Amino acid sequence: MAAVLEVRGLNKSFDGIVVARDIELSLQPGQVVGLIGPNGAGKTSLFNLISGVVKPDSGTVALDGARIDALKFHERVRAGLSRTWQHIRLFPSLTVLDNLLIGSTDYPGERLVNVLFAGKRVRTHNVLAREKALTILGKIGLSAAAGALVSDLPYGQQKLVGVGRALMRDGKCLLLDEPMAGVEGQSYAAMQRVVREVAAQGVAVCIVEHNVAFIQDLCDEGVFMFSGAILARGPVAELIRNPQLTELYFGH
Amino acid sequence: MLNATILLQILWTSLATSSYYVLFAVAFALVLKVTRIFNFAQAAIMTVAFYSAFVTVQWLEWPAWAAFVVMMAITLAASFALERIGFEALRKRGVSVMFVFVFTFMVSEFVAYLAMLAFGTWPQTIFPTIFWPVTLVGNIAISAWDLPAIGATIVMLALLFSFMRFTRMGQFMVGVADNPDLAELYGVNKRQIFLVTVLMAGALVAVGMFLYGTRAQVLPQTGLSLMLFAIAATIIGGIGNLAGAAIAAVILGVIQNSSILVIPSEWQGLLLYVFLFLAIVFFPNGLRMPRRRRRFATATRDIGDNQDVSAAEGQV
Amino acid sequence: MEYIDGIIIIVGLYVILATSFNLIIGYGGLVSIAHPVFFALGAYTSAILARNFGLPVPLAMVAGMVVALVASVALVLPTLRVSGDYLLIASIGFQLGVLEIIKNVRFTGGAGGYTNIPPFLIRDFGREAYVALVLAVMVAVILLVRLVARSDYGRAMSAMRDDELAFASLGRNAMWMKLAIFGLGSGLAGLAGALYAHYFRFITPEQFEILQSSAILTMVVVGGMRTTWGPIVGALLLEALPQAITFLNLPPSILGPIQGLLFTGLVLVFMFFRPQGLVPAENVWRGGGGETR
Repeated sequence: MAAVLEVRGLNKSFDGIVVARDIELSLQPGQVVGLIGPNGAGKTSLFNLISGVVKPDSGTVALDGARIDALKFHERVRAGLSRTWQHIRLFPSLTVLDNLLIGSTDYPGERLVNVLFAGKRVRTHNVLAREKALTILGKIGLSAAAGALVSDLPYGQQKLVGVGRALMRDGKCLLLDEPMAGVEGQSYAAMQRVVREVAAQGVAVCIVEHNVAFIQDLCDEGVFMFSGAILARGPVAELIRNPQLTELYFGH
Repeated sequence: MLNATILLQILWTSLATSSYYVLFAVAFALVLKVTRIFNFAQAAIMTVAFYSAFVTVQWLEWPAWAAFVVMMAITLAASFALERIGFEALRKRGVSVMFVFVFTFMVSEFVAYLAMLAFGTWPQTIFPTIFWPVTLVGNIAISAWDLPAIGATIVMLALLFSFMRFTRMGQFMVGVADNPDLAELYGVNKRQIFLVTVLMAGALVAVGMFLYGTRAQVLPQTGLSLMLFAIAATIIGGIGNLAGAAIAAVILGVIQNSSILVIPSEWQGLLLYVFLFLAIVFFPNGLRMPRRRRRFATATRDIGDNQDVSAAEGQV
Repeated sequence: MEYIDGIIIIVGLYVILATSFNLIIGYGGLVSIAHPVFFALGAYTSAILARNFGLPVPLAMVAGMVVALVASVALVLPTLRVSGDYLLIASIGFQLGVLEIIKNVRFTGGAGGYTNIPPFLIRDFGREAYVALVLAVMVAVILLVRLVARSDYGRAMSAMRDDELAFASLGRNAMWMKLAIFGLGSGLAGLAGALYAHYFRFITPEQFEILQSSAILTMVVVGGMRTTWGPIVGALLLEALPQAITFLNLPPSILGPIQGLLFTGLVLVFMFFRPQGLVPAENVWRGGGGETR
């Protein structure tokens, strides 16, 4: 099966500090990979490099077999690579529903010309988008919060909305940055459900997480990073049993 | 008619007249570096500086040294007010970039209008005349203004650089410039540093305006045009790089003055705006990338997602 | 009557300027002071094409609008590629620089101004027709900006203002959006300029100076950003004030600075005591088209 995401030889240094060293990563459709490691290992930086927020010094990234290195961040998203953020980054001036709605693209209503004309096309598209948004809200258990402001929601629910927003596009690859940090209870269960369902639909998922139980539950494979390099790969259970890795994780 | 004498003359004169440009540029660059504010209100400080000297010399008829002292005192007071009443209030409210800009811009305009009201819109100079005795060295005319101007600039720059390198407070300024919150954790009083920075910039501006106002004519709106020069030099020299701003100011000054050789005089005024545009489009990071020594910042491998949006738009 | 017509037209044009500037700085979040320069470009282009090249006035006006739009793209495109902070500085340079060019070039009439601009409508239909035209354009502009702000486009603008990086993470090109907003807003300013030129028939660079930047900025900030009524209230207020002062019969050398002091002083006072302006904006985007609620 062809890999959805193919990262080869990715390197990046900032001010003499190596942030990514010869990173090789491959994600299959429907695969859920957990990226673990201590703080400062370069996990979020790797997401930034793959998604195109930061330009690497060398290396290639390919999505569905096609190289995306020349694409800007927003272009990579349009190509099918979605991501969430460690610090959520929802839009405070939009309601929860609108935050989701804006997760989708290609609204005819977002072309200036269509603001004046093309009324029917705009409306049809928006009805479909709205249905999709409400469905996702239902899946994450937040149907009642559609009209609420983001700031009214507890942290865990905001995180869910962030993931929901990333799901509005039917992407091929989803990068989740610490989706469980600060999340508990119902939101935790909802997040698990959502990730499983997304993977079942054939999306390749990579999750940066510190919550080892979550990773163990969900991930087919784990990747351990330290000091910008990938030290080990394999079933999550094996990685967490490895004494050297554990020492690196907690020793720093 | 381009011979060595004319070239040397132009070179010398433009060097001498870039003295005030250097001071304005370094003042702007300093405030930007430490407080991260694009201080358009510097134009207001410049206006205040000039007119206080003007009033002292031409209305009160005090001697030059007294005028200088009065000007320095008033300029420092104005800088103090700007930082404590203006910037601090804005900081406390956590306002946006747009807010700060509108504020600083409006302050400059407000002061310009006050000056227009009080002093009229015709050009003024600090001394009744801007003609200085000239000595010929070889075939080059050296004005009695030139050497003191260059000297004053060098002295001010030397004072600034040694302050920043050799005193504790100076090093704190660099620390706050790099990472204000981290510096605070190390016990640095940010408030005090910001104040010192703005005051020092005020001092530079005062000397600069004294030089300018004894050599050229000033209108209430002159501050803003001179500011553009400072901004262009700061950008070209590299944001955070004071020496770069100074050098860029000299180079721009020389280019602007020499341009009289190649372009008609009515277009000279336009040159500055062209500089600015070129600076922004081609040299937004300065001509030299400053290697800032990260003494206070911790080394970290995670870039984190608080990325500058320019990273998302511009680099990739 | 002519005096009143003139005032109505000026106020109408300022409402257009304030509303279009609100689109740029309020809804688009683009910090720039280069609005008067586009007002000028529209005025001069239309005037020159009509007088020197005999173009029919309506066509000349459209050309004025197009020139303003293209010029705004020329300003924004290179600077935004670099970073948003630089747009501000570049706009100051652009505003001052282009005016410098206008002052020095012969075919614009230089610092003395451009005269004998061909009239429009007035000879055939009277001054009231022109007043009606300006007011009609004004209403159209108000409705257009309102429509844009409340559409899906407005929602996208709101998100872009909130967090540009997150905006990009949703596959959106912020640069295009900024270009479009800036172009539209500046084009409308150009149209206002053309309307100005063919009524007053005499334009000088002084009328488009940086004082106008302060005035328009004040109208939007004091009136209330990101609202439909804010710029209108701001424009009315700031045009009413100078009229009130003229009754004091001050000499022009004092009048100018006093007006300036009023504008800038007002903004400073408002910024400290009522930053949201006279007409406060809601901090939540709400659609009005009925597609989303």
